[in-house]
Amino acid sequence: MLDTLTPKSATGAVVPSWTGVVRYLHITPRAFLPMREMPELTLVAGKGIEGDRYMIGREEGFYSHKPEEGRQVTLFEYETLIALKRDHNIDLGPEEHRRNVTVSGVPLTHLVGRQFWLGETLLESTRLSIPCRHIEEITGKAIFDPLINRSGLNCKILQGGTVRVGDAVRNMQ
Amino acid sequence: MSALPITKVRTIVDKIEDGGQGIKLFSLVDPDHWELPPFRPGAHIDLHLSGGLVRTYSLCNDPVDNKRYVVAVKREAEGRGGSIVLHDEVKVGDTIGVTLPRGGLDLSTDVTRFTFVGGGIGVTPFLSAAAWLKRMGRSKFTLHMIARGEPPLAELLAPLRKSGHLVIHDTSSGQRPDIAALVGRPLSDVALACCGPDGMIDDFEQASRDWPADRVHIERFVPPPLPVDPDAKPYVLALAKSQREIIVAAGQTMLSALIDIGVDVPASCCGGICGSCKVDWLEGQPVHRDRVLSPAERERSLLVCVAGSAKDRLVLDL
Ligand code: FES
Repeated sequence: MLDTLTPKSATGAVVPSWTGVVRYLHITPRAFLPMREMPELTLVAGKGIEGDRYMIGREEGFYSHKPEEGRQVTLFEYETLIALKRDHNIDLGPEEHRRNVTVSGVPLTHLVGRQFWLGETLLESTRLSIPCRHIEEITGKAIFDPLINRSGLNCKILQGGTVRVGDAVRNMQ
Repeated sequence: MSALPITKVRTIVDKIEDGGQGIKLFSLVDPDHWELPPFRPGAHIDLHLSGGLVRTYSLCNDPVDNKRYVVAVKREAEGRGGSIVLHDEVKVGDTIGVTLPRGGLDLSTDVTRFTFVGGGIGVTPFLSAAAWLKRMGRSKFTLHMIARGEPPLAELLAPLRKSGHLVIHDTSSGQRPDIAALVGRPLSDVALACCGPDGMIDDFEQASRDWPADRVHIERFVPPPLPVDPDAKPYVLALAKSQREIIVAAGQTMLSALIDIGVDVPASCCGGICGSCKVDWLEGQPVHRDRVLSPAERERSLLVCVAGSAKDRLVLDL
């Protein structure tokens, strides 16, 4: 993690400051199909990612019958992949967790309800993602339990654009 | 938007080829030719056909060929109808929903030699395994194919014939091969597998009885059951408000039984943690298995994605 704690702000609250980076980008056009690694993704404000299963109008995701703004783009911490290996000896690749954007150095749990920059796009997180039992069926790995509380972040897209691997992830302020 | 969750992989019939002897080869692809969910050599999938028919077939292509599922289907006029639908109704361009691939052969590296025995169409899981082993440079295997007359699937068998991996046993003269001789004595670095009609499997089981169980793989033509809890029992699920009764099969979730009859229960994690599939129960004795409900909540509610029934009848407030 690249975050550091800044001194107390004017109001006395400790505000974490951080800058992260986009490590991997993935999409898939339909539920159950493997995620494909992409060098860049096109995010469309209020809709989703071009070519992805949850793009509004496409509705081919496992949860498409329950539409939710926060499925427009989902993020996952690279650090969780490292922790799965360290704590559970599970090798999980960035294509297997089924979120779109794998970032490092971004404290996703701090971002619920907040806005932040993903490259040139502006996102607002709606909630933490929850794991889904069917990921075990797809990957054949016992990852449901270890992913509870660190299964990523659901976000809506406020300002669209192109996101590339290597782009910075920054706080709104 | 569909009202119910997507439960199958949507495929399109891309090609139908004649495999000879009443066999057709169906090549299924994603509508955008995207990669399909991966499979192990010799794995199988269920095809969901018209009229609610669900049929299981072995995949016969190499798992590295990850944009297609190829299944070989023999038309069984006396069968249960699935092969007839596939042969007589299904056309190139049709959509078929399939399940995620299951099972497959254990080709772990501590085994260096394999003996495969396939009876007729039962050769299909070994075509996938053979292609995979050859590509991995693990060429010590023999595929014994037992068939009446000229074997079907000539095109798929040709490379194995050429490389000397295939031994054909023609039974048209009435002579059946001695399976015990094909199997031989247990050897530490050898594994066996057999797929074919029941009589052949019985002979194979007999011939391999001295082999360690983890070195013997058997596949019967009947659909392989999904892995179930050995103690699971079917039970009646009664829906009080809509006055319906359904049977939840052993090992089936209440959620999938409800989806099957079109009851739209909101479900999300399918693992008993998000609570979105909570339903009140009225009579019976639920087995909860969730990780979110408090003892007080369990007195009243259950989560249909994980709960079962300890008794043979459970009544829900649905
Ligand atoms: S779907 Fe999450 S608890 Fe049942």
